[in-house]
Amino acid sequence: MLDAKPAKKLVEVKDLKMYFPIHSGLLRRHTGDVKAVDGLSFDIFEGETLGLVGESGCGKSTVGRALLRLYELTSGSVTIGDEDIAKLSPEKLRTKRPMMQMVFQDPQACLNPRMTVAAIIAEPLDEHTKLSADEKLEKVYELMDAVGLNRAFANRYPHAFSGGQRQRIGIARALALNPKFIVCDEPIAALDVSIQAQVVNLLEDLQEQYGLTYLFISHDLSMVRHIADRVAVMYLGRIAELSPREPLYADPLHPYAKALLSAVPDPDPERESGRKRIILQGDVPSPSNPPKGCNFCTRCPEVIPICHEVKPDLAEVRPGRFVACHLVKPDNNTAAGSTGLAEDFEYNQQGEPKQ
Amino acid sequence: MPDGAKPVLDVRGLQTVFRTRAGDVHAVNSVSFHLEPGELLGVVGESGSGKSVTMMSLIGLLPMPPAEVLAGEVMLGDVDILKVTPDQLRDIRGRRIGFVFQDPMTSLNPVYNIGNQVAEPLRRHMGMNKSQARARAIELLELVGIPDAERRLADYPHQFSGGMRQRVMIAIALACDPEVLIADEPTTALDVTIQAQIIELVKELRTKLGMAIVWITHDLGVIAGIADRVLVMYGGQVVEQAPVKELFANPQHPYTRALLKTIPSVTGQRETRLRVIEGQPPIMGAAPVACPFMPRCAHAFSRCGAENPQRRAIGAGRVGYGHDVACHWDAKTGGPADA
Repeated sequence: MLDAKPAKKLVEVKDLKMYFPIHSGLLRRHTGDVKAVDGLSFDIFEGETLGLVGESGCGKSTVGRALLRLYELTSGSVTIGDEDIAKLSPEKLRTKRPMMQMVFQDPQACLNPRMTVAAIIAEPLDEHTKLSADEKLEKVYELMDAVGLNRAFANRYPHAFSGGQRQRIGIARALALNPKFIVCDEPIAALDVSIQAQVVNLLEDLQEQYGLTYLFISHDLSMVRHIADRVAVMYLGRIAELSPREPLYADPLHPYAKALLSAVPDPDPERESGRKRIILQGDVPSPSNPPKGCNFCTRCPEVIPICHEVKPDLAEVRPGRFVACHLVKPDNNTAAGSTGLAEDFEYNQQGEPKQ
Repeated sequence: MPDGAKPVLDVRGLQTVFRTRAGDVHAVNSVSFHLEPGELLGVVGESGSGKSVTMMSLIGLLPMPPAEVLAGEVMLGDVDILKVTPDQLRDIRGRRIGFVFQDPMTSLNPVYNIGNQVAEPLRRHMGMNKSQARARAIELLELVGIPDAERRLADYPHQFSGGMRQRVMIAIALACDPEVLIADEPTTALDVTIQAQIIELVKELRTKLGMAIVWITHDLGVIAGIADRVLVMYGGQVVEQAPVKELFANPQHPYTRALLKTIPSVTGQRETRLRVIEGQPPIMGAAPVACPFMPRCAHAFSRCGAENPQRRAIGAGRVGYGHDVACHWDAKTGGPADA
């Protein structure tokens, strides 16, 4: 990819924090915080898919919602395009909404059961455009074609559709305003195995067709390997490792990423019997009371004394690979003259150009 | 599996329907399988394929009505458990057949402490007194790897994490040392690292206790790692049955073959595009007269619409032992199988 244009950042997240207050006692005093997201920084480049993986409760969905400012951030900045959406006034924010959309996990719960499919898909158009009724209907039909829904079903209600089809309705609605950036929050978790592949292929086709940028949140590591260009592994509100897909899956560097990948069962008995599995002991600590030092220090099989004292920062240890661990030291030859992010992205894409 | 060892559980021609206001749903259609002593049988299928309903109906856990078991026999040793009285069935459930449900959040009673719930089957089935049951409950909780078991007896389910609750469920299921353990998606509600813990636990308990296990799941990865033999279910019937390595190496049914191709993996070659099975799983509104997979099958031909295929053996052996498939199409020749 020598002639490739340097990839442009579309989303830039800096030190994002999202705390949910805990009120307790008779006077409902503020007694603590659930630190759902605790200091996240990363970029998403135009046209790429960033996978965000982690176990339940690690804060991955909160990140997705915070990025679209469905929550008011505790601190940090989220720059989408060229504006910090964390600081926009509500009116300004509304005018920015069309460029950023979301596909939700539960296709049953995110569609209003009393609205027809056409009305659901047209709702963003009602809010943000001044199209005539005919133009809107035309646009709705176009969108239904794009996501593979039969136009004849436009006047049906969501209950008449299967899970996979409902997810397509949700995707059509997200596409209605020609967004640039879509947060997909576990879009396939509620679907059957044979339907998951249909929806993932659809998302990939739409990405190519409309030049979309995705944040793909999932706990399914094998599906993320398929769809994402780069993958961020989260643990207890922080990023443990952020790497391009292939190096991450071939050679995870963070001990948590190693354990997580080794825990995923392989649908092949031959390979499965030869795999070494790292079994983590215990459960994830509560995010309202994270351990001192590294968040993973209570379960880490490779823990050393410093881990209980100092929180490791996310640092670039190989070109394009960011790891937050005291044990993973930067390679000498890459650390010093380390490349900028844009170039890293070129590296990520090498060998498998997007076009 | 040696042909001839007496199975601990033998299910023949099981058929279950749900009578609903919107019409009948034929959830299970003449399902037959057996379970050898000490074997782990994996049952895979999508939601609605009838895998859970099969297991629930054979131990009488379905609400009747709307459910109705129309036909079949379920031999547990020498007893047909579809024909026993409700009292006898209560003696079998929990005593001879243990059950672990999918959702550890809702399958424990929130108002009783853990000690009570683990001791309940011991007192009901084993005739233990309070202190005996308590001592055994501590042993069981230690067996499934709950730290500080004695102190935790007094804790309530909400004080346990999901993985720990599932361990408690397993302890309850194992309490009376059952011959058969039925685990219905026991790890689906858990995170992968916790799932790995539970799978290791079950593997370890199997070698220690030697019971036969039926493990229901939709995750072929879990099956690959844990099962000896696999049943693949689709549209309420068994479409393929084989030892686990044989199934993954040499799948016969078009559904199994397609399913194995659609799932991505974290190891091995990465597919640039996922293969899909077009269409939707069926809702069995009537007893099947055609192959339920026909509308989605790439190899369907006229006979598939006219006749629901019976299971036929692949290679040596008879149906139910070795490898068998319910399909008119022959994967080896790529043409119709001989009638």
